[in-house]
Amino acid sequence: MKFSVFPWGRFPFDFLRSHGKALRVTVLLLLLALSGYIFYLDVVIREAFEGRKFALPARVYGRALEVYPGAKLTPVQLVEELRNIGYHEHPVPDEAGTYKHTLNGLEFTTREFVFGDGPQISQHLRIEFTGDMVSLLQERGSTAADLPLVRIEPPLIGGIYPGHNEDRALLRLDQVPKPLIDALISIEDRKFYTHWGIDPRGIARALYKTLTGQRIEGGSTITQQLVKNFFLTSERTLTRKGTEVLMAMLLELHYSKDEILETYLNEIFLGQDATRAIHGFGLASHFYFDRPLDRLELQELATLVGMVKGPAVYDPRKNPDFTLQRRNIVLQEMVKLEAITQAQFVEARQKPLGVIRRAPTGTSPYPAFLQFVHRQLQRDYREEDLRSEGLRIFTTLDPHIQRQAEEALKSRLADIERARRITSGTLEGAVVVSSTQTGEIQALVGGREARFAGYNRAIDAQRPIGSLAKPIVYLTALEEPGRYTLFTPLDDSALVLRQAGTSDWKPQNYDHEFHGQVPLRTALANSYNVSTARLGIELGVESILDKLPLYGIERQPPPFASSLLGAFELSPIEVAQLYQTFADSGFRTPLRAIREILAADGKPLQRYPLNVEPVAPAAPVYLLTTALQGVVSEGTAKSLNNWVPAEVKVAGKTGTTDDLRDSWFAGYSGDHVAVVWVGRDDNKPTGLTGASGAMTIWGEMMRNIRPEPLEPALPEDIELVNVDPVTGVRYIEDCASGVQMPFIKGSAPTEVSGCAFAAAGEPAVGDAAAVNVEVKPAVKQEPQKSWLQRIFD
Amino acid sequence: MERISSFFVAVLLLALAGCAGAPKQPTAALPMPGEPVPAETVVLPGGEVVEPGPMISANKAVIALLERARRDEAAGKREAAGAALERALRIEPRNAWLWHELARLRLTQGQYAQAITLARKSNSFAGRERRVQALNWKVIADARIAQGDSTGAEQALKVAAELERPVLE
Repeated sequence: MKFSVFPWGRFPFDFLRSHGKALRVTVLLLLLALSGYIFYLDVVIREAFEGRKFALPARVYGRALEVYPGAKLTPVQLVEELRNIGYHEHPVPDEAGTYKHTLNGLEFTTREFVFGDGPQISQHLRIEFTGDMVSLLQERGSTAADLPLVRIEPPLIGGIYPGHNEDRALLRLDQVPKPLIDALISIEDRKFYTHWGIDPRGIARALYKTLTGQRIEGGSTITQQLVKNFFLTSERTLTRKGTEVLMAMLLELHYSKDEILETYLNEIFLGQDATRAIHGFGLASHFYFDRPLDRLELQELATLVGMVKGPAVYDPRKNPDFTLQRRNIVLQEMVKLEAITQAQFVEARQKPLGVIRRAPTGTSPYPAFLQFVHRQLQRDYREEDLRSEGLRIFTTLDPHIQRQAEEALKSRLADIERARRITSGTLEGAVVVSSTQTGEIQALVGGREARFAGYNRAIDAQRPIGSLAKPIVYLTALEEPGRYTLFTPLDDSALVLRQAGTSDWKPQNYDHEFHGQVPLRTALANSYNVSTARLGIELGVESILDKLPLYGIERQPPPFASSLLGAFELSPIEVAQLYQTFADSGFRTPLRAIREILAADGKPLQRYPLNVEPVAPAAPVYLLTTALQGVVSEGTAKSLNNWVPAEVKVAGKTGTTDDLRDSWFAGYSGDHVAVVWVGRDDNKPTGLTGASGAMTIWGEMMRNIRPEPLEPALPEDIELVNVDPVTGVRYIEDCASGVQMPFIKGSAPTEVSGCAFAAAGEPAVGDAAAVNVEVKPAVKQEPQKSWLQRIFD
Repeated sequence: MERISSFFVAVLLLALAGCAGAPKQPTAALPMPGEPVPAETVVLPGGEVVEPGPMISANKAVIALLERARRDEAAGKREAAGAALERALRIEPRNAWLWHELARLRLTQGQYAQAITLARKSNSFAGRERRVQALNWKVIADARIAQGDSTGAEQALKVAAELERPVLE
C-alpha cells in the first residue's frame, strides 16, 4: 500500500487531539495539497484527452466513380465499387449505403458526401446496363428523372497518422457499427450511460479483494479504462487506482458520454505488431480482418470487443480457442440484454473466427500509392499538419485498374516462376498506369505483395532502362523530316566506337548478328542496337540526351553513346512520365496523384490542376507512335497480341538489359499509359527478356482493363501515302500491295512506282498500323537485303 | 469550528475550480458548409441545353458538367469551374470543345501560357471543326496580347479570320 500523498500511517493522532490550532493548520494544508493534486490531475487528463481528440489524421480518398449513361462499366464492377466503400445488399435499399440487384441492373442509395465543389446529398438511384455499358440512370420515385450523371462517394484508401509508433484509423462515433457499441456496453460496462465515471460497487469489490490479499483486479468502467489507456503502465497499486478514479470522475465532468465513448473506441489497446501498438477498433479491424470496421459481421465485432479484456491472452492468432470462447461469451451477454435476437446469436456463434493469418502492415490497401501521395504532400505541407489537421486528400487512384495491375503482376510472376523453374518468390516487379490525356496515376504497384508496405519499386527502384530509351533517339531523327522518314535506311553493320579515355565500345544486337541496311521503322520494331547507336551518333549523343528534361526526366545520363541504348537508370514512374509525352502527341503532362485537398471543414485548400506543356511537335511524335505500333504488330512485342486484340493498336517498346537482369515493357493505348518492370531485388539475372517477362504482365493487365484503341489525332502536317510496308516504295493510290503510311508533308517519296507486287485477289491491307509483314509474299520470297536493290530498281 | 468549516468551503471551492474549466464544444463531425444541394443531377433550365450552338457532345454527362463549369465561372468560382471541366475531360478526353473551354478559363485566370497550350491541344483534336479552331486562335491572340506579344496576336487573329471565312464547297 503506497499512498505517498496522504501518509496517514505516519500521522501522530494524539497530537491532533491536544493541539486544536495545529489541527486546523494541518487539515488546511492537507486539503490544499489535495485540491492542488486534483488540479494537477485535471490538467494532465484533459491534456491527454484533448491531445487524442484533436489529432485528426489526413484522410486519403481514391477517385470518385462517375456513372452516366454510356459509361464503360459492368454490374460486377459497380457492385465491387459499392462493396469496397462499405455498401450492403438489402432487399429494400432505401437506406444510404445499401443496394440490391434488379433484372438489368441495380438499385442503390448513395451516402451524402462533401466533395471539393460542395456537399452532395444522398440519392435513391436505379441503374441499368446493356452489355458492359450503363444504359439508364434514374432517380427512384420520380418518373421523369433521367439523370445525366452521378458521382459515387470515393473510397477511403488510407490516412496519414500521428507518429509515436502508433497507427490509427480514427472513427467518428457515427461511423461505428451499433452492434459493436452494444457488445462493448454489454460486456464491459452496463451502466456506462448512467454512472459518473466510476462504479462504486465495483471499486468496493476491488478494494476488498485487494485488502484481503486476493488478486488485485479491475472493476473498471469504460471511463476508467480510457484513463488507464492514456497512461499505460503495468503498475497495479492503490495509488494508481485512486488516481484513476479521480481522473475518471474529472473526465465525466468535462466531457459528454459520447465524447468519452468515441475516444475510448479510438484509444483502447487491442494488440501489438512488433514495435507497433494497435490502438482503437478502427485499426484493429484492419489488423485482424483486413477490412474497415463497417464491413465486419456481428461475430467479428464481438471478437474485437472480447479482446478488450486482454489482447495478449485473447490474441486470435496465438490463442484462437480462448478468443472464440470469449467471443461467444460476448454474444451471450448481448442476447441477455436483448441487443441481438436469439436467431442472430445462434447464427453468429456458429461462425469461425475469420481472422486473417497475416496482418497487413497498415490501414491502406494501397501502401505504394499512398507512399507516393505522401511524398508529393510533403513538398507542400508540414508533416505535423498532415498528421493532425484532418485534411481530406482526393487522389487519382482507380481501385479497379489498381486491382487488375496487382493481380496481373502477382499471377504472371508466379506462372513465370513455375514455367521456368525459377525459385518461387525471387522475381519482383512494379507497375505504373496513368491516363493518357490527363496524366493522372490510376494504379501504382510497388511489388508483388501489393498489400504490404515495403520496398516501393515503382518509385524507388532505379534500373537500367535498356531499349526503352530508343524512342528518344528515333524521335530526334524524325524531327528532321528532310533527313529521316519511317523508311529511311539505317546502317546496321558492325560498329567500333573509339572514345578517348574509355575502352572501345562495340555494341551488339540481341541476336548477335548484323542486319546491313534496315528501314528506320524496322530497326525500332526489332530493337536493333547497332543501327540505333549509329543513328544516335550521327544525330549527336549529347543533343539527344539533352532533350530528356523536356520529357520530364530530371536525371542526366552519362554522355556516352551507350546511354542511347539505355545504359542509364530510371524508376518505373520516370519511364511512365517519358512515355506519357509520346502517348499524348508531344504534350507533356506531369504525372499527378492528387487532385485536390480540402481542410477539415470542407473548404478547398489546394487544387492540383491539369497542366500541359508542348515539348515535341505533334507530327514526329505521330510517326514515332506509328513505329511503336509496329513494334507490337510485327516486332519484338508481337506476342502481345495473345493478350490484347490487334484492333487496340497498342504502341509499345520492350526493354531487356545485360544478362537479362531487367525486363521492361512500356506502352500505351488510347486511354492508358502503362509501364511494367520485372527483375530481382539482388539484381541477379532473371532469364527474362522484355517480351517474355514484363510484356506478358502488361498484356494480362490491359486485357482486363479493356483499353480504348489508340488512334492519335492526325496532325495537319502529316499525309498518308500508299507505300510498300517494308521498303517504303510509293505505289499508285489504289495499289493493294501498299499500305497507308504517315509522312510529314514534303518528306514522302515523290517517285511513284507501278503496282508491281499486287497479287490478284489478295485482300487489300487498309490499315497502316495493322500491317503484318508476313502476309506479303514478295517479302517472304526475297532475302532481306534485297529490298535495297528494289529501291534502286 | 465556524472558521474550520469556512476553510472547508474555501478548499472545496478551490478543488472544484480545478474542474471548472469550460467544457469544450464537442468536435463536430465534418460541418456541411451551406445548404446541401444535389451536385450531380443538375437538370438544365427547361430541361435542355440553353445555348444554341455547336454540338459539343452527345453525352449528357459532359453537357451537364460543362453547364456546371459555366455556372461556377459566372459565379466567380473559377477553380471549381476548372474542376468541373476536368471531370468532363476525364469522360471525353478527346473533345476539342472541352479543351477549348479549359483554355478560355485559363485565359480568364491569367494563366496565359497554359491558355495557349490548351488552345493548341484543343486544335489537335479539332479535326475539321473550323469553328472551334477559330475560337482557339482567338484565345491564343488574347493570351499573346496579355503577354505583350502584339505581332504574335495579330498573326493568331489572321488565322482565326481565315478559319471563319465560309468555305465554298
